[in-house]
Amino acid sequence: MSNNRVSRRQFLSYTIMGVGGFMASSLVLPMVRFAVDPALQVEGDSDFIVTDQLVSELTEEPIRVSFSYEQQDAWYTSEVTNDAWVYKAGDEIIALSPVCKHLGCTVQWEGSADFPNQFFCPCHNGRYEKNGNNIPGTPPLGPLDQFVVEVRDGYLALGEVKPNFIVS
Amino acid sequence: MLFAGREINQYIEQKEYIDTAVVPLIELDLGAGGIRQSSAAAEYMISLTSLLERQFKGRLLLLPPVSYPKNSDRAEIGSAIRKELESSGIKHVFYMTSDVKWRSEEDLDRLLWLPAVPVEHMDPKFRQSVMEDQLRQVLPLVLEAWNASS
Repeated sequence: MSNNRVSRRQFLSYTIMGVGGFMASSLVLPMVRFAVDPALQVEGDSDFIVTDQLVSELTEEPIRVSFSYEQQDAWYTSEVTNDAWVYKAGDEIIALSPVCKHLGCTVQWEGSADFPNQFFCPCHNGRYEKNGNNIPGTPPLGPLDQFVVEVRDGYLALGEVKPNFIVS
Repeated sequence: MLFAGREINQYIEQKEYIDTAVVPLIELDLGAGGIRQSSAAAEYMISLTSLLERQFKGRLLLLPPVSYPKNSDRAEIGSAIRKELESSGIKHVFYMTSDVKWRSEEDLDRLLWLPAVPVEHMDPKFRQSVMEDQLRQVLPLVLEAWNASS
């Protein structure tokens, strides 16, 4: 028999420490992982969609720029085409959403002969100024939304739609 | 508006503004001779009416396509839909179809008959521009009805 026999007490305390340590680590490690995870995520290349529109061809006059992307609606994936009204104000590119803030129709630049230099919504005669500001007395309650824009290799890229940030 | 759960609440709340309905009428022909044309026409009509809906979302309720077998009595279908829509209080109803047999129905006053354009083999960009051209034929008719009533 060897001299360093493990006593019953020692054996039990080692066992409990071992099992307990394992259990504790299985609790703590995921927590650490989740806490650190956001820092490990690679920043995606954002959700910009590059359009066919050359930035050099833009003028002060708003034009309609179409772009398509895939949309997943539950089990159904479809190609959606959307528009933006784009123009230049000085060096800045302004891209406005064509969706009327009243009930969601599509607005047209100079859509009514009676109101030049304005966006016009044919549904309920809503009107907006060139910067998207809604004209009081017409149904819309807020200015047209605006796209975040970028220039990529000379082409216009449209990002997120945000509440209008040029109307103050 | 679409005739769908998430949009219908807005329709109910804003009923005073949404005074127009669009009813796509689609013929179902599953016979060997007609199935290709029937399905292509259905695809055309569904994409045209959804473009129209997007344009006029705030004033127009797009109903799901009414599909009927090729030998159905058009007059009966037409009058049943008309009655249902009349009871809803909707002022303007547009029936849109590529089915020739509706042309003889006098009962529906705003029936837009559009010959189906075969778009299934076009690439997406070209198809989009063709459909927008088609849409431009319909927009003035809707605007005209609205202007006449206001």
